[in-house]
Amino acid sequence: MPIVIQPYREEHESAVREFNQRLQSGGAGDDLVFFELARPRWLPPADGSKLLQEYFVAVENGVVRGGYALKQQSFSFADGVSRNVAYYHHPLSEGIVNKSYAAVGAMLLKDAMGRAPLLYCLGMAGYDRPLPKMLVRLGWSHFLVPFYFNIVHPYRFLREMQALRGTVFRRWLLDLLAFTGAGWAGIRAAEGLRKLRTPKLPPFTVERVEDFSEWVDPLWQQAKNHYAMTAVRDFQTLRTLYPASDAHFTRLRVHRSGHDIGWAVVGERRKDGKYGAMRVGSIVDCWALPEDALPVVQAASAALIENGVDLIISNQSHRLWGRALNQAGFLISPSNFIFAAGKNLSALLQPIAETQSQMHVTRADGDGLPRNF
Amino acid sequence: MTLTILDQVRKVASDLFVLPADRITAESSPDTIEAWDSIQHLNFVLALEEKFGLQLSPEEMEQIRNVGEAARLVASKLQNSPR
Repeated sequence: MPIVIQPYREEHESAVREFNQRLQSGGAGDDLVFFELARPRWLPPADGSKLLQEYFVAVENGVVRGGYALKQQSFSFADGVSRNVAYYHHPLSEGIVNKSYAAVGAMLLKDAMGRAPLLYCLGMAGYDRPLPKMLVRLGWSHFLVPFYFNIVHPYRFLREMQALRGTVFRRWLLDLLAFTGAGWAGIRAAEGLRKLRTPKLPPFTVERVEDFSEWVDPLWQQAKNHYAMTAVRDFQTLRTLYPASDAHFTRLRVHRSGHDIGWAVVGERRKDGKYGAMRVGSIVDCWALPEDALPVVQAASAALIENGVDLIISNQSHRLWGRALNQAGFLISPSNFIFAAGKNLSALLQPIAETQSQMHVTRADGDGLPRNF
Repeated sequence: MTLTILDQVRKVASDLFVLPADRITAESSPDTIEAWDSIQHLNFVLALEEKFGLQLSPEEMEQIRNVGEAARLVASKLQNSPR
């Protein structure tokens, strides 16, 4: 019986649970499970909406052998045209525990390429993972979206940042820096030096808003053509991504001289072992003309600091947003957050070596909103 | 000289797997070509789509077991495609 890839329906749910059980009993990681409900909880298809998620399953004689998800969204490009683009995520194949199904991973991707001509992947946790390895071999264009961080509480950072505390010597050294205050002094001095480069900004004001509304749209229209590629960020899209009912996010409206200049969405991430007991805040999403990035970044950082976080992180592809983060005291760190574009999407972004720093890609363009907050 | 579809498919395989065309036969398969794994299988299918201007489904991709089957599938798709 051949494997057929089809939309995930309620009738497949029990087979998906059995698929997940086989993966787990075969030794796959705890996070390698497919969605057990056919209807996406986040961004389910809705009438007329171009922002939605769809799931697909690979079925062999009633048995599920794999699945993947597509997040469909409208993107604006440098040529002024908006196009539907799909984000391919959560591909899972029985091939990871049973070599008889080694071909399922490639079948899933082939299916997605047929359903969504403009396709991208994001995140993927580094080039050593199976999916990015596959995409590189398939000739997808790819780059790392830079990762920025700002240490709000040096003591907590030195004591809790597990990724830095891998050996006994490192733990001893970091504890020494934390307890003597030398770490605090060093981090603050470095931050002070970076902030010396911060240009003096005209005064701006920041307002915490409950919801996004029509005031967002002129900002969207004004700035969209300044980015080589950006997901549509009009007010309807923002209301879908960050509904007023979702208390995890803080929504910021930034004004200058009585005019809106940008907005940001910030939030505290769920606890994650690699950050220990630290409270980690994220600049999840943001928008402005590239030259107005700095006040928006400063507003976002101030809101997170006020919320009590120990560390602030952000991924930003655009050069001027990166510069704004640096000017606001952020450091850049090696990133494992990969953007990879399929052949058709890549053709719209050539030469990608230049375009990558003119695109507006953030964490909000992935699937992390419900998972990480 | 007109190349047969099999010859053209052999050329696609030769370019992709970096092997001399005369070493690619209708029977060449993942069992005989070391570099032919599941990802190269997808690359092979994508290269055939581009070369012949057709679309193959994941199920058709999975049915291809060797170069000869790929050529037969391409021929059948070309025959059935609207002109």
